[in-house]
Amino acid sequence: MSQNCQAGILKKLLLRKTKSGRLVSAWIALCIGCTLLLVSVIIWSCFQDLLSGKSGEDSLGATFLTISKKVDDASMAQKGSTQILSDDIAVIKTAPQVQDVGLLTPANFKVAASLGSGQMSFYTLLFLESAPDRFMDKMPETWKWQEGDNTIPIILSRDFLNMYNYIFAPSQGLPLLSEQSVKAIGFKLTMGEGANQVDYRAQVEGFSDRISSVLVPQSFIDYGNQKFSPGSIGKASRMIIKVGDPSDKNFVTFLEKNNYTTNAEQLRFSKMRSVVEVVSGATGILALLLMAIGTLVFVLFIELTMAQAQESVRLLLQIGYSPKKLSRFLITKYIPIMLSALLAALLIASSFQFFAAHQLNSMQLKINSFPGIYVWIAVGFSALILLLQINQSIKKAINSKI
Amino acid sequence: MQLKIEQLIPVPLREKLNQKHSDVWLQNLLIESLDYVGVQAPSGTGKTTLIHSLCGLRQDYDGAIFWDNKNLRNKNGEEISELRTQKVSVIFQDMRLFPDLTAWENLELKRTLTNTVSAKEAAEWMNRLGIGDKMMALARTLSYGEQQRLAIIRSLLQPFSFLLMDEPFSHLDHQNTTVASQLILEVVKKNNAGLLLADLDENDFFPYNKTYLL
Repeated sequence: MSQNCQAGILKKLLLRKTKSGRLVSAWIALCIGCTLLLVSVIIWSCFQDLLSGKSGEDSLGATFLTISKKVDDASMAQKGSTQILSDDIAVIKTAPQVQDVGLLTPANFKVAASLGSGQMSFYTLLFLESAPDRFMDKMPETWKWQEGDNTIPIILSRDFLNMYNYIFAPSQGLPLLSEQSVKAIGFKLTMGEGANQVDYRAQVEGFSDRISSVLVPQSFIDYGNQKFSPGSIGKASRMIIKVGDPSDKNFVTFLEKNNYTTNAEQLRFSKMRSVVEVVSGATGILALLLMAIGTLVFVLFIELTMAQAQESVRLLLQIGYSPKKLSRFLITKYIPIMLSALLAALLIASSFQFFAAHQLNSMQLKINSFPGIYVWIAVGFSALILLLQINQSIKKAINSKI
Repeated sequence: MQLKIEQLIPVPLREKLNQKHSDVWLQNLLIESLDYVGVQAPSGTGKTTLIHSLCGLRQDYDGAIFWDNKNLRNKNGEEISELRTQKVSVIFQDMRLFPDLTAWENLELKRTLTNTVSAKEAAEWMNRLGIGDKMMALARTLSYGEQQRLAIIRSLLQPFSFLLMDEPFSHLDHQNTTVASQLILEVVKKNNAGLLLADLDENDFFPYNKTYLL
């Protein structure tokens, strides 16, 4: 009871002169600063997710390029002119932008895909390829094959399905196929020829945006090439490379000079990615600046309040109030204000993220709908910095009156 | 509690005070816990400076002040605060009340720091000193005499081993001075404490066992 009475009197002495307009202004400044900081962290972490393909869709995954040797009039006649040799890999690795290189190993044997009979039946010759696991943007749990397994998991390029649905099926009067329906349909894969012919069951397990091919596990390609086409192992014609900045002009020149070809659109897209990275970085710097200004306004508000109460602080110290007790009293009054601004900023930033996730989802770009670990780290860090600043300015004001 | 003063001299008054004899300035004094000390201090001899220096409000002096053999100059903010709350209480000449608080709030602010005196007892002391009807009046609306009585009561609302007084009755008439000094003496005895009063003239407010000329 007496402590409440004391707190009431202290509040009257130290905080009565606080103008509510100033308090609201300082609160808004702090809230805006915190909001921008959190939004910039959200933007940054979402871009990181999109660019590193963590979201599973890898929609901006242009850091991976599929390259092959150019086919020109001279090389047309030469058999094996597009084959990738170990020297080629060594040359590619010399480019400073290249971080990793892998071979896309093709199936060097005859493959035919077929399905049932009647109206939905089909038969087609097919190619298969495999990529090292570290280059895969899709890795379903079923992505494994070992000798004796009758079912082969397949990852299909999303481009192929789009071409079928938007070009081939309408022109041929065939039914459209959704991703789910393709995954649900199993079909037969016939390998090899004559006496060496074997049937397998194939199942589409996912769709890739990164590699335009029909992908099967590396273990199956290795096994198949040995069984159905002995002596052909390693005759790859395409490489997949991971590059830091594929839009780098030097890198583009390097590819041209060495007679390599890749998807030019992918390079152009990478330029956009670089712009996005710069913009997100600039937003971060601006947000930090505004956060610093917001903190400064809030701290100045506290210092102004303390300056107005300086005579009371001096007298309280003279009659025996300890600096620690006064600091604790004032800090406990300002912390809820600071935390409420931070909480409001978190709510606004989360709403922004939720709204952005909803909007981007319709563009096939998947980001988290709710704040991730980096946002919580930013919240904790901001709270800590603010607490230290508030603590310091209050202690400074009190200690100057001792 | 023991108070030791060694070669104390306030820096701003050094030249002036050097010219005449003092029992306190530039002397070595030892004041024991139950001593009642009267300091007669004519105008301009640094009476308020002495009281402020003894309770740590001023540091602009040469020499040293020891409370229980601990140099006051070496105490930090927290230690000085503990000294003012638990060991040494002060009645300031200029009262130092909070003008925008009521008389009762001024007392409560001090009383609730240690809760050694009950609210009922504090109210009784207000009645005894004739300001019981001023509880809800703002301190700034009280007369000097009323403010002085309020400041006296406030100084008694904490445990102490020594009570420092700087002209505590300067605005009080003879009758009020008698009542106030009796209350002070009661509480000093209850606390088993000593006291030091600085005043312009020689006085018999308390049964001093030591008197000094400043």
